[in-house]
Amino acid sequence: MKLRHLGALCAMGLGLAAAPVLAEYPERPINMVIPYGAGGATDISARTIAEPLGTAVGRPLVMSNITGAGGATGSVVVQNAKPDGYTMLFARVGSHTVSPAMKATLPYTLDDYRFVTVYEINPVACAVRPDSGIESMEELVSLTESEGTSYSSSGVGSMLHLAAVFVLDEFGVKDPLEKATHIPQNGGGAAATAVLNGTATFLCTNTSALASFVANGQLKPLMVTTDEPVPGFDAPSASSLGKSELTQLVGWTGIAGPDDLPDDVATKWGEWIAEAAGNEKFVEQMTARGSVIEVMSPEEANDFIQTQYETFRALVDKLGMRIEG
Amino acid sequence: MQMQLGIGAIFAALFLILYAIPNWVSSPSNVRNIVLSPLFWPYILGGLTGLTGLALLLTGRQRLGSGDPVNEPIDDPRQGVLRLTAIAGLMVATFWVMPWLGMVWTSMLAFVALAFLVRTRHPVTAFVCAIVVPLVLYAFFAHVASVAIPQGELVRLP
Amino acid sequence: MSLIDSVMAGLALVGNWEAFLSLAIGVVIGVVGGAIPGISATMAVALALPFTFPMQPINGILLLLGVYKGGIFGGSIPAILIKTPGTPASSATILDGHPLAAQGEAGRALGMALWASCTADFVSNLALIFFAGFLASFALSFGPPEFFALILFSLTIIAGVSGESLLRGALSALLGLLLATIGLDLVYGTNRFTFGDPNLMGGLNFIAVLIGLFAIPEVINMAWHPTGHIGKVQKLGSKWVTFAEYKRSFRSIIRGSFIGVFLGSIPGIGAAPAAFLSYSEARRKSPNKANFGKGEIEGVAASEAGNNGVAGATLIPLLALGVPGDVITAIIIGAFMVHGLQPGPMMFVLNVDIIYGLFIGLILSSGILFIVGGLAIRGFRPVADIPKRILMPMVLVLCIYGVFAVNNNIFDVGVMFVMGWVGFVMSRYHIPAAPFLIAFILGPLLEDNFRQSMLMSGSSPDILLRGPITWFFWALTVISIVAITRGTLRAAKSKD
Repeated sequence: MKLRHLGALCAMGLGLAAAPVLAEYPERPINMVIPYGAGGATDISARTIAEPLGTAVGRPLVMSNITGAGGATGSVVVQNAKPDGYTMLFARVGSHTVSPAMKATLPYTLDDYRFVTVYEINPVACAVRPDSGIESMEELVSLTESEGTSYSSSGVGSMLHLAAVFVLDEFGVKDPLEKATHIPQNGGGAAATAVLNGTATFLCTNTSALASFVANGQLKPLMVTTDEPVPGFDAPSASSLGKSELTQLVGWTGIAGPDDLPDDVATKWGEWIAEAAGNEKFVEQMTARGSVIEVMSPEEANDFIQTQYETFRALVDKLGMRIEG
Repeated sequence: MQMQLGIGAIFAALFLILYAIPNWVSSPSNVRNIVLSPLFWPYILGGLTGLTGLALLLTGRQRLGSGDPVNEPIDDPRQGVLRLTAIAGLMVATFWVMPWLGMVWTSMLAFVALAFLVRTRHPVTAFVCAIVVPLVLYAFFAHVASVAIPQGELVRLP
Repeated sequence: MSLIDSVMAGLALVGNWEAFLSLAIGVVIGVVGGAIPGISATMAVALALPFTFPMQPINGILLLLGVYKGGIFGGSIPAILIKTPGTPASSATILDGHPLAAQGEAGRALGMALWASCTADFVSNLALIFFAGFLASFALSFGPPEFFALILFSLTIIAGVSGESLLRGALSALLGLLLATIGLDLVYGTNRFTFGDPNLMGGLNFIAVLIGLFAIPEVINMAWHPTGHIGKVQKLGSKWVTFAEYKRSFRSIIRGSFIGVFLGSIPGIGAAPAAFLSYSEARRKSPNKANFGKGEIEGVAASEAGNNGVAGATLIPLLALGVPGDVITAIIIGAFMVHGLQPGPMMFVLNVDIIYGLFIGLILSSGILFIVGGLAIRGFRPVADIPKRILMPMVLVLCIYGVFAVNNNIFDVGVMFVMGWVGFVMSRYHIPAAPFLIAFILGPLLEDNFRQSMLMSGSSPDILLRGPITWFFWALTVISIVAITRGTLRAAKSKD
């Protein structure tokens, strides 16, 4: 009885295994790893592009949130995956430029990935409470110099952490690590709340995360890190303040595979993403949240990420922010 | 039993304070204040564990033999231990085999193994369930909830 | 616009069968999702989210709220039937719900869970409608020092769920606190007990620990003693909950609802602590104190009231401030944004029709939950009749799938197995599991808020007593510690 069942099972297994092996990529659903939790910027971005991208790929894309350790847990899964193009990663500024620049103990480096695209850029804005009496970046800087301020972030080694330090450093605050206290929170939502309830003086984060607070008059933006002003944000751009170096400080979302991903797979992704990002509905939904849709080819993406990483790394080394333990 | 617990807790606390925390918790050198150190909270917990252990030991001595709750006895303790070892082995095997064999096939084997380990009275039902349950769960999780259930290297399901 | 106008505008939005249907579909998805361990209310909401994009904004949001509410109730079904909480919020329900099921009264426990859930849900919705403005302003006065005091007080719940020995409860709690330190340090980002493993850097997955601690020991116990259950009937039972029992538990239900509303309106606490707090308060006040933990129907009522009381109240900070109170509302915010709605004070001015539409929909949702929940209990009835030695392998397989699905990580399955052995050893030594769980949830919050306070003040401890809210919770903490100490001493004396 038992044996016969087992036999049947094996036969069934063989039948399935005998399916065509040499079909063209992709022949089955592709597993897309999102290294951050549901509801966050990466998750929303990934799930919005999933629909047009799935149409372009012609196979289902299976979205898997693998959260933990500021994006490291999910990133490691893709680092160790087979480079067959069936496990790809939604890489984000936090997991792939800030963390590698700041954390010596990170289990991966940029070289472990092959980026096939960066498709979305989010400007960064710095904001305070409207009743804080701080009206401009200069006032924030002088308050930091005289009394000291504090800023919230979504955790150590997150983009928010580095962004605040970067901005203060660019505005000439000497020793920003001593003058401004970092108050880490658990996640981006909590970071904004910390400024709202007065736990921290300011925060610098993606405009998409701040948009509703700014629209409601709960937070006042002081600056956006772009060349041009951002609609809905009544604040000067970094370029108009003469700090064009700060335009390096932007959030982005891209797609990456393990580093030995074959060329033909990378090329295919380049084509798919160009097609998907042209989708009108997708562009409309993303721009409504303050993102700029800008599709980069694999080479452009690699350059962009490498440049941002080096900028961040230089700052981290200059200020001695690297986490060794 | 309370005495055992107390002694166990004291040893655990000593291990934590003397070995585990200094070695396995890293702290940067530039910590401004002791209360902010990553080590502060683990040390407090280690200390409290030790205190609880002492308290358990003292109260355990006071009412030795009485007041201890008793576990339900079983008929075949020796075989019971064997079965426990078997289920531990089953779990280890399940965990290591799953990435290679895939979650569906591993669960089927685990189901059968466990059902026979606990000497089920309905072997045929168990066998049918062992095949049906993982497949139904797979269908649900993979196709309704769109979760990437690990497929393994050998046989892929649609 | 006057109140009447607002209500009429809201009615115009939701007074159609589409809105009603979305809400009902949402509740069904939620109850089924909540009833499957590993899906949980959070995941059910996340899965339903993309489907709401093409819908009318109000219908889409109502569907998600339906999933949320259904999910929180649905979690109690497996908690009672197979001792596996379908959603973290229902872990307190196990304490009395599963013993009732073991006594062949699962039907009664499930019935009470449903009645308590719907009542608390209704109270919570009313609180949202009437007090949103007031409670929201209160929520923003909770900074790290206030949280620290609140969580310190919440930890005294442990005494209420420790069972026969307070010391064993404390040991269990300490174990939970210690395991919760695994991962990256909040302030410095350094490793704590991670051994360089990227899987450990994120800390132990809460659901994996939860299921490991409650469901897997049952499986191991089955291997230790395969015939132990024979003679003990595990059936749904013919007995259904009576109105007299509901009336008897009514005080606990209302108390639990208010605890839920209060904790739900403060961002960052969540439903599980509310359920435990409600449970321990009910136990403290009840004349049947001794029966709690052994199958007391009032315990089920209190836990379910506590967690469902949160469901409406988490929308208070969401709608009034645009601040998500927990993961689920963070996902729901996504739905608002996709439709170009920005939750916050301005929404009460710009989209008042949607706000009132939501209010009306929410009131309806309690009724729908009652109907759908009643059907679901009948639908899951066969589970109670499966022979236990077939059920346990099923539970094992279900847990493997469920725990994997939470974070798509096989490592979590390993965590679940290991925690299963921890839970088994703990039960052999009569160490209660509930304190472990509470400590595991609250421990990191306690530490993080303490250190955030210290960062704010430059390490001066004065900040921990900075205002009336902190004084209030410190006073409560002291009072409950005194009460616990006196109770323990008295119990020790009466034993001698």
